[in-house]
Amino acid sequence: MKNIYKKFGIALAFSSVLLTATSCETSSSYEDELPSIANIAVSNDAFSTLEAAAINGGVAGVLSNSNPNDASGDYTVFAPNNSAFARLGLDESTLGVLQTPFLTNTLLYHVSNGNLPSSAIAADGTSASALGGLTRRFINRDGSLFINGSKIIATDITAENGTVHVIDKVMIATGGNVVESAIALQSASVFKTPELSYLVEAVVFAGLADALSNPAAKFTVFAPNDQAFINLGAALGLTFDEPSDVRMIDKDLLTAVLLNHVFADTSKDSFTSELNAGSYDALGDDNIRLGAYNNGVLTVSGSGNGTPANMVIPDVQTTNGIVHVIDQVLLPVL
Amino acid sequence: MKINLKLLGGMLFMLPLTMAAQSPISGFMKAKGEGSITVTQSREDYNDVFLVPNKVNSVPVFNEVTTKSVSLYAEYGFSDRLNFVVSLPYIQTTGEATPATLANNGFENERSGFQDVSIYGKYKIKSYEIMSGNLDIIGALGVETPLGNYNVDEGLQSIIAIGNRSTDITGLAIANYKHNSGFFAIGQLGYSLRSNEVPNAVISELKLGYAASVIYGDIYIANQLSGSDGVDILGEGFTGFFPATQVNYTRIGANMFVPIVKGFGLTAGINTYIEGRNLGDSTGAYSGISYSF
Repeated sequence: MKNIYKKFGIALAFSSVLLTATSCETSSSYEDELPSIANIAVSNDAFSTLEAAAINGGVAGVLSNSNPNDASGDYTVFAPNNSAFARLGLDESTLGVLQTPFLTNTLLYHVSNGNLPSSAIAADGTSASALGGLTRRFINRDGSLFINGSKIIATDITAENGTVHVIDKVMIATGGNVVESAIALQSASVFKTPELSYLVEAVVFAGLADALSNPAAKFTVFAPNDQAFINLGAALGLTFDEPSDVRMIDKDLLTAVLLNHVFADTSKDSFTSELNAGSYDALGDDNIRLGAYNNGVLTVSGSGNGTPANMVIPDVQTTNGIVHVIDQVLLPVL
Repeated sequence: MKINLKLLGGMLFMLPLTMAAQSPISGFMKAKGEGSITVTQSREDYNDVFLVPNKVNSVPVFNEVTTKSVSLYAEYGFSDRLNFVVSLPYIQTTGEATPATLANNGFENERSGFQDVSIYGKYKIKSYEIMSGNLDIIGALGVETPLGNYNVDEGLQSIIAIGNRSTDITGLAIANYKHNSGFFAIGQLGYSLRSNEVPNAVISELKLGYAASVIYGDIYIANQLSGSDGVDILGEGFTGFFPATQVNYTRIGANMFVPIVKGFGLTAGINTYIEGRNLGDSTGAYSGISYSF
């Protein structure tokens, strides 16, 4: 009996030594495992804003797991890097300017069911997103592939639960038409602070809301932000304190100015990736002049603008057109 | 050198307490009527996290996490063969999430409270004099259960939860060989049954050290292999419930004890992970005071 214990003791000592030494948790025991899409965002410094957005938007858990809505169990994610978010002034510390439901929807617009390898992406094709099936379109510009206005800058990062492609701009889709999209901003459903409030007021005042809600149209719209209208007021010698102050402008003049913010061609809406420098007919009497395409944006001006307007939020997809938010009102020669 | 085993028994204790990643009990026995009470304070920091398949260099949400604890540990010899061990840690974890991140997610940068109380009985099954020394075979059985009402189900906030809210029942087999020179080696091997979706785990530890009447020191390597029914953080099956994750690790450390006067002694130690799965790559240190009677 004594010997049994002695042998047991020695055996135990050996086995604990062996177990401790050999079972040592090493990375080699799972280095062959693939990370999940959520893990890729967390592991990569270039996606720290996306990581924060995914956590804030409540999709980090979703993108950790297999896709229950696809037989393959996979997702495809077009992942905006930190620079993409920074174009909108967004990083981990400023994401809070966005309403969470909008953030969640924006993230879902970057996701689709199943695997979409780069080899299966063709220019002029489309892909349905996980945001209510809203589609994104693929565009070839100078040999580079774009999804909407976003350049695809890295492809086919393989995850356990799908595929990741990296893009240089955040894609935005509102799910509403041009007018509804502007109202979403004006009613603080996108940013927690209202935006496009003056534009919405001006469109309503000018009686253009119905026309811009036409579901059959494909508008390309340049939408001046609130500061643009406030600056316009100042240039006209007026003080705009609140959106209704735009009603100080002559209604016919305001209507004409607003119509100069929409391409006359309503058969085809255009992302920045589809736009080039040049002069385009507007719905109004003036032309819209675009500067050179530069890193995903173009300058915009009417014939009365001393300096061209810049795009603040380009490539917002609505159900009846594409909206580019700009920082100046486009002016005719007054 | 013939060491005074009774004196040693009076001052060798503990050390495991604060650090969950060290076996919950020591391999030494106290004689009947003898005991010790130890209070320690510890601090651990990490900003790297062992995820699968790779370690990441920033803790999601919280960037960097510091864990501080104050622990009470008591051991008593009911008989020469049967000892009881009780431990109770109070833990405070602090994250470094930005104010914006906290506001966006409704999170807080601190969690604190009493964690899990543990009670172990250990029984010296056999003792032999062999190879110019002494070999003890010890069996231990213990239960560990949440004492405080801390939360573990707050989504990613629970990255800094102070525990798992699991009730564990752990059995350990321990072999302790002490050479008459004072050098010793202790091997422990055990299995822990755990509740609250926490995977059961095999735990093992190998400790080498030197124990004399004027000083005690050891180095150890400790390992936990958690059941593969656990999930990986941000992996398949992960729902944001951290107790359900598969936590494996290999940790190394060193402990020291110096008797001062009249049964009082000072203890200190350091420890770090060398590999892991689904836990922070923390490095920590502790110090404390012990009274033996």
